[in-house]
Amino acid sequence: MQYLSKSENRRDSCLALCVLVCVWCFLVTVPILEAQTADYERPVPILTGNAGYFTTSDNGTTALVPEVNPVLLLPLRDRWLIESRAEFYGQFDSSRGQPYGGEVYKQLDYLQADYIANPYLTVTAGRFLTPFGIYNERLYPIWIRDLQQVPLIFPLESSSSDGVMLRGGFPVSSWANLNYATYFSTLNTNTTLQSDRGFGTRTGIFFNRPRIEVGASWKKELMAQRHNLYGFHFAWQPPPIPLNLRAEYTRSEYGSGYWVEGAYRFSQVPVWNKVMRRTEFVGRMQQYFSGEEQMADQGEKYTLPHGDTQQPDFGLNYYLKDGLKASASYGRWLGRHNWNVWVFGIAWRFAVPLGSAGGQ
Amino acid sequence: MRKNIVILAGIPILVSALWAVAPKKSEGRAPTETVFSNEDPAAMRLEGEKRFRDNCGRCHAAPHKFPPRMIATIVRHMRVRATITDKDMRLVLYYMTQ
Repeated sequence: MQYLSKSENRRDSCLALCVLVCVWCFLVTVPILEAQTADYERPVPILTGNAGYFTTSDNGTTALVPEVNPVLLLPLRDRWLIESRAEFYGQFDSSRGQPYGGEVYKQLDYLQADYIANPYLTVTAGRFLTPFGIYNERLYPIWIRDLQQVPLIFPLESSSSDGVMLRGGFPVSSWANLNYATYFSTLNTNTTLQSDRGFGTRTGIFFNRPRIEVGASWKKELMAQRHNLYGFHFAWQPPPIPLNLRAEYTRSEYGSGYWVEGAYRFSQVPVWNKVMRRTEFVGRMQQYFSGEEQMADQGEKYTLPHGDTQQPDFGLNYYLKDGLKASASYGRWLGRHNWNVWVFGIAWRFAVPLGSAGGQ
Repeated sequence: MRKNIVILAGIPILVSALWAVAPKKSEGRAPTETVFSNEDPAAMRLEGEKRFRDNCGRCHAAPHKFPPRMIATIVRHMRVRATITDKDMRLVLYYMTQ
């Protein structure tokens, strides 16, 4: 009887707390939505994202890979942003002369609420991309990445986290900006919201005169294994020339490796300038060294190579118009066995306002 | 005991809700989206373009301009995603909406 009474008491308490939270949400949300519709210059909700279609030839297997990544941006009042990105992609291949067949996969990359507390701090809660290095958060969208194949070391840390994150950027002098992100993630075994328990931090400094960014990342797993992951990143856009250099290094018990990538836009070439200024040449070198531990297979889209591997890649991007580019690349996989990797395709970025967008 | 916890938790929730509902002195433009009113517009445009190339060009090709309300949303999104500083965000917003 006493147990029942305690249980009921707990239920009542939970109910009361839920009611209070609902009241709070109602009181806060209604004026926010009213403010949204009242002010013409305020941010408008947007449906953006990218779509692409690629043909890959990897180790003699040809695959057709359509992909859509819708991103929903919902600004609330002056300081809030709710943002979400989903990923839908298919992998249809025709190995051994069979008809094309495969599966369509879907995943939720992030669904987060951001609160811009002050110029130095943004508080994020929900499901977010784990801030480790620069590829996962910044370069992953297909309309942004210069080569459609992700780096070999990308699966070492390509996850999403469920928890809380503090992040921001601020100037430390007239010639340098510091940025940081630190987070705690909880364990979630739900298929859609899968995440591991752990915490980590990333910090970077951007020197605005030479346009150089250097940074470091650290992640501590709080699972059955308590491994550490370390990462370093570098980016340089030399101001006089349209060159974009980027590099990342990651080290962990699962393996380590690096990638170095350079992308040159031919916009300064005077010959056939109308065509050349839309053309970009990309080269990348990367190496992966397998580690002592085997990474648990949780059905991720990308997996680590089996054994030490290196892969040089070359590619061409042609920007047909704003947000639309055609890509072609060739790579040579050099591992236990060697083979060619070809990728051809097209990527498109879209952005649609979900309300009045204001005049151009 | 649990009732006390609920009361203790409820007070700050209700206070924060009332605080959120109450009109603010600074209501109008977002504090993170105001521009610098005492600077030369041409200089601000130039500086905004520079910050745009510094920050946005680090990851992707320059997009065409969007309508102002879309730009305001995109810049807020990029402020979080790319950890752009407050000042850079304001200048980029000014440049992109001119």
